[in-house]
Amino acid sequence: LSMTEIRAGFSAIKANIQSRDPIRSRSILSHPHSLHKVKSSDRCCITHHLFTFYVDKVFKHCRTEDSFVNRKISSIANSFLGARRRLGQCREQNNCVCGEESTEKFKQILANYEGLNVTSAAMKSLGELDILLDWMEKS
Amino acid sequence: GDALLPAPQSISILSTNMKHFLTWSPVIVQGATVRYSVEFQGEYERDYANGSWIPISECSLTTATVCDITPDISATVAYKLRVRAELGATRSRWGTMKGFFNRVTTSLTPPLLRVLADGHHLLVELADMGPAFQFRLLYWKKGQESRVQQKVMREVSSVVHLDTMEAGAEYCVKAQTHVEAIDRSSSFSPTQCVRAQGDTSVRL
Amino acid sequence: GELYCSLPNPRNVRFESINMKNVLHWSAPEGTGDGVLYKVKYAVYGVGKWIRKPECRNINRTWCDLSSETSDYEEQYYASVKAFLNGTCSDWMETTRFNPLTDTKIDPPMVSVSSTGKSISIILTAPEKWKRSPEEESVSLLQVYPGLQYKVSVLNKKTKKRWFFSISNNSLVVPWLEPGTTYCVSAQIHVTTPLLDSGFSKERCIATLKDK
Repeated sequence: LSMTEIRAGFSAIKANIQSRDPIRSRSILSHPHSLHKVKSSDRCCITHHLFTFYVDKVFKHCRTEDSFVNRKISSIANSFLGARRRLGQCREQNNCVCGEESTEKFKQILANYEGLNVTSAAMKSLGELDILLDWMEKS
Repeated sequence: GDALLPAPQSISILSTNMKHFLTWSPVIVQGATVRYSVEFQGEYERDYANGSWIPISECSLTTATVCDITPDISATVAYKLRVRAELGATRSRWGTMKGFFNRVTTSLTPPLLRVLADGHHLLVELADMGPAFQFRLLYWKKGQESRVQQKVMREVSSVVHLDTMEAGAEYCVKAQTHVEAIDRSSSFSPTQCVRAQGDTSVRL
Repeated sequence: GELYCSLPNPRNVRFESINMKNVLHWSAPEGTGDGVLYKVKYAVYGVGKWIRKPECRNINRTWCDLSSETSDYEEQYYASVKAFLNGTCSDWMETTRFNPLTDTKIDPPMVSVSSTGKSISIILTAPEKWKRSPEEESVSLLQVYPGLQYKVSVLNKKTKKRWFFSISNNSLVVPWLEPGTTYCVSAQIHVTTPLLDSGFSKERCIATLKDK
């Protein structure tokens, strides 16, 4: 999965999006439990869960008054669809098994998300895209 | 209102080497300058955002009949494009391109390649085609066509060293582009051969 | 408690990071001459508890080294500065969110060149991640950025021709060069994702041996 284009799109709007998230003490992906603690065997499943999470729950609540930002969010969202499709092929070939730990991990992320109002949670999740990409590209 | 101004027709996309341009026929109104606005809709907008459309600001109220949509077509999914004409307060209906556009259909041309020999060194120069492109180079010693070697390059902005050549031997090179985002490659460039300096009797 | 804060704010509060040596910098408040003092605090994103930096309390310089506090590059951070002068103070002024992994700059690699007869051999060393003390175990940026590559430039000083090599490992031998010729080598680090490029290193020149 080449994340280069998603990273380029996010870098272009990172400062703008993160400035819309004033809550320093809460995170969706990194606290209280860090993505970086996920076992490698669970990575594929968590990645697929997270792609679905962003597509189903996050992007649609991130519309802004800025046309440039909206266009970049659209290209990231459509890139996520493409990437999720390729990941789906892994799942079909049973290479992306979802263990108990990854299901638990994803529940925590959802709990973090539902602990905030929808727009704040969505904007915070979008602002944490580099956390997701850094974790995905970690060897 | 809108019905007086016809919607643009012959809306189509020219896409070469991952550069995508939307074109349409001009709407002719005698003695007036008609302007156009373009919007796009990706698979995400269709399936998850109530079929919303997103304007391309660089092509809003443009007098041109072409729009560079490359920055917005940055995912390998199906997109829809539409254009409307505007004259003062009057707007036409949207003219929507038939079918979808997916960048996987872009046409890929062979890279511009220049092969050089500098003493015993085989060098190449490739025209830069943008960050989406990798270059796959095949090279071999003339007469040993079965022992083809390969190198994949990404960054090309100058003379790049390919390999060292045996004295006096002739080497041939050809190249193709590869676009990871759509997992497709161009056809190969014409083969070019150069000769290494020196006497062929000298072995390395 | 906090004093009534009418002092203008510190400006342009930001992290400047090289090889993950993460230093907070700012500019003095507008129109304030000498005598302004500052204090600094930082927070881990997602935890949010502001932590004071004692070594940067009541300082008159406009930087504060937070490398130690921000050395875990799997976390992200905020830092903040407050100014004091003649019994009054400014507001706390914050950085944007700092991600050490993507927001650091990378130094060029170290280049060592040797010549044997008609060839030159080049050894490249990626810079190390900042560390608290010389005794601490070194971490090469190669370990932090697994996709790290080198772009090497070799210039023939006689013909003025420059060649480029793109390599992933850290050594390169260029055989069959012109005898008695000076070649100058410099190298750059390239990371594709996140997109990070160092500058080119200082040129190292060496001459091949003359023909007997």
